[in-house]
Amino acid sequence: MTAPHRRTLLLGLAGLGLAGLGQGTPARAQQMDITRASGFIQSTGQELVAAINAAGPVAERRDRVGAILRRAVDVDGVGRFILGRWWRTASPAQHQEYLQLFQEVLIRNLSSRFGEYQGLTFTMGRSQARTEEDVLVNTVIERSGSPAFGLDWRVAEVDGQPKVVDVIAEGTSLRLTTRSEYSSVISRNGGNVQALLNAMRQQITQLAAREGG
Amino acid sequence: MIRFRRTLPGQSRRPLLRPVLALAIALGLGACATRPDPSDAEAVAEFRLNNDPLEPLNRGAYFVHQGLDTLLLRPAAEMYQIFLPPEVRVAIRNVLANLRTPVILVNDLLQGETQRAATTTGRFLVNTTVGIGGIFDRATDFGLLGHTEDFGQTLAVWGAPEGPYLFIPVLGPSNPRDVVGFGGDLAMNPMTYAGSGQTMEAITITRTGLTALDTREGLIAPLDQVNATSLDPYATLRSAYRQRRVTEIRNQAGGGQATSDLGIGSGIQGLRR
Repeated sequence: MTAPHRRTLLLGLAGLGLAGLGQGTPARAQQMDITRASGFIQSTGQELVAAINAAGPVAERRDRVGAILRRAVDVDGVGRFILGRWWRTASPAQHQEYLQLFQEVLIRNLSSRFGEYQGLTFTMGRSQARTEEDVLVNTVIERSGSPAFGLDWRVAEVDGQPKVVDVIAEGTSLRLTTRSEYSSVISRNGGNVQALLNAMRQQITQLAAREGG
Repeated sequence: MIRFRRTLPGQSRRPLLRPVLALAIALGLGACATRPDPSDAEAVAEFRLNNDPLEPLNRGAYFVHQGLDTLLLRPAAEMYQIFLPPEVRVAIRNVLANLRTPVILVNDLLQGETQRAATTTGRFLVNTTVGIGGIFDRATDFGLLGHTEDFGQTLAVWGAPEGPYLFIPVLGPSNPRDVVGFGGDLAMNPMTYAGSGQTMEAITITRTGLTALDTREGLIAPLDQVNATSLDPYATLRSAYRQRRVTEIRNQAGGGQATSDLGIGSGIQGLRR
């Protein structure tokens, strides 16, 4: 692929992205240092892997993972980004409920798969600055019996602290995919945010059932 | 000419595909997605970003696909997974990947990617000889890492527009550019022209069947995950497919060394872990 072609294509895509995303990146995000970001991912990743591989009941490990995620992920910022244009139409009570459910979905999604994640290891890959606001930290996740895969963490500075604002698996951004999913649920229910909240609540019940507690 | 057409991979799918497509069209009834209120800038932006003006039709096709997948494709892939030991499946995957390298090479060259073309050539030479017909991926041990490339990506590099998102039963997420690309890859595959006769036909059918099984088998875990956790799997797949294609077109390996060079090049294998 020749450079000019690629650039035109990328610019086009970037333009589309910007048009759709609007004020996606929070204004409070500041310049992020690459070394700091990768150090942050290294320590958070180690904590997460330790919590997942720890002995003990699922509920206990889930609480540990939950505490790490609450500290390391900009849950409110990401949640708001994902709700996107529907944030404005939702009531303050719905905002509150949504953020609560979103956090629960995030934690339950991990804890329902503790079994599969046993023995998981991660190593740091190359690290690169992406924009002025955030850093993309590359890691390689390995599990016995399945091929290694790359996982990129988007780290931004939020209120003076490094926070994860996105996870990108093999080129697929979790927050963009989830945004598309949630928006589709709301649109297909005639723009009713409550429909999404109900679906999320049901999903948490199902995930809890899978995890067996 | 008739012989030649009969040996095209994908031909075997046609008797199945035709009624399915007819049903999909009937379900969608040529309906287009309701365009958003032009005064709502954010809704319009989202509509353009999703790039899915045929959404009702596509959702019909997705519904049909889910039915076929539940009844036929996934069970077949599961049997494949259960009855063949992992070593054999890896060997099959490697052979299929090696058979795909000529097509990858042509696309590398059409995109002017000489470095990647050299890697692809090296992989083919090493794996075909030292790797015994591609059974073992020895090229990776030599530092020649595989990558995917297909004519859909080449068309994108050449500046062809993506066109509206399409969901095609059995084949999965796509768009007009990738459909044309799929045909282009068939046309540039040397095996398409390797002659006729029963042996060749058998080889082509086997290869097509194994590619389908291998691709679906690799997708069992990720697709199960999407279906179990997404509130709208259709929307999740659409978003994931389109993001993944952008990364592939840029030749920007999302996961560095972890990227594989498998599958039919329709892009959906990008969901593989």
